[in-house]
Amino acid sequence: MRSWKVISVLIAVAIVSVIFLSGVIGKPYEPVQPIAFDHWLHTSKQPDPNQSDTDPAPQLKCEDCHEHADKSRYATIPNVSKCMQCHETMKTDRPEVQKLAAIAARSEQPAWARVYWIDKSADVFFTHKPHIRAGVDCAVCHGPVDQMHRVRREVDHSMGWCIECHRQKKVSVDCSICHR
Amino acid sequence: MQETPEAKKPQWAMVIDLDRCTGCEACVVACHAENNVRIAGEEEAARGRSVNWIRVERYLEGEYPDVKVRFMPVMCQHCEEAPCEPVCPVYATYHSDEGLNAQVYNRCVGTRYCANNCPYTVRFFNFFPAQWPEPLWKALNPEVSVRSRGVMEKCTFCIQRIRKGEEKAKDEGRDVRDGDVNPACVQSCPTRAMSFGNIADPASEVSRLSKSGRASRLMEELGTKPKVIYLNRGE
Repeated sequence: MRSWKVISVLIAVAIVSVIFLSGVIGKPYEPVQPIAFDHWLHTSKQPDPNQSDTDPAPQLKCEDCHEHADKSRYATIPNVSKCMQCHETMKTDRPEVQKLAAIAARSEQPAWARVYWIDKSADVFFTHKPHIRAGVDCAVCHGPVDQMHRVRREVDHSMGWCIECHRQKKVSVDCSICHR
Repeated sequence: MQETPEAKKPQWAMVIDLDRCTGCEACVVACHAENNVRIAGEEEAARGRSVNWIRVERYLEGEYPDVKVRFMPVMCQHCEEAPCEPVCPVYATYHSDEGLNAQVYNRCVGTRYCANNCPYTVRFFNFFPAQWPEPLWKALNPEVSVRSRGVMEKCTFCIQRIRKGEEKAKDEGRDVRDGDVNPACVQSCPTRAMSFGNIADPASEVSRLSKSGRASRLMEELGTKPKVIYLNRGE
């Protein structure tokens, strides 16, 4: 009976170590999106002078699409009509753009999977506006999204992380600034 | 923390003119709606567990038919020397640099020491999880958290409105002034018995009214230095 116990413990240890070594745990959260929108392609891709007609590089800024970041609590995900401003005519041969066009034709919105959020139980009332106006770069809190093909959660939005920045920037660390 | 910006922080205070209060309780209704204050219900209220961040106390004076009714709205007095603060073992209630007695719901472990130490009985404990019958939960204010079971709650001077007002003033590049911040009770008062503002600013209405000869504070003798100033009723 004793050997059984030893064997079962060994098996459990093996399973746990396999899970850890396989990298399932600790890998940044990277949800599959309904449309394979590529942030890198829209922001950082450098234009190729030889193929500027067939392969354009829009080189957008964050706030071109997330246009309410400096005005409201939410940075907002753009309405599909914003995508269609360009994709009505551009790259209409791509399957992902056709998926987008189909959604737009039904007057629906893609069900984007959220990458960053704050649990409701945390009672945190975060607002984008003051952070953007204070000149905090989007990448400070969201990681190098402009280099990502699919957005990953690279930054851990824990309270200690918020407080650290607030202390460095000598802004208020009063609890009721965020919690109310 | 730095010295200079804190010195300029507004000090929030409220003045209530008892001469104007008609006891209509519009402030109570407004407070419930604004701050997601749950309705405890008849049974709980009978046990003394009703939840009202602001209540209107009623005093009857004299014998019938010579009866005088006096009303007095009472909410958290945001005492400068708050008796609730030092008794909290987890610093869930503390004094902010804006003169607010703040309650951090996440920190609260529910010892209820603060409520027992409050001479104004304006702190309320969530013995049960807040329940909102369909469809009332749709009317919850998204700017305010819904307190969970086991935490203490109380008037915040509508901190969400204070933050909004401060942000507005900041956008316009000026200091806060009268009218930027109006808690729900002040806004809803039909007789304008209540006024709210920055008492550190000598030009503000609260600062002017607090110098009135009628000004007094509730249970001043306790030395709690409340931030709510009552203007006594004339005879």
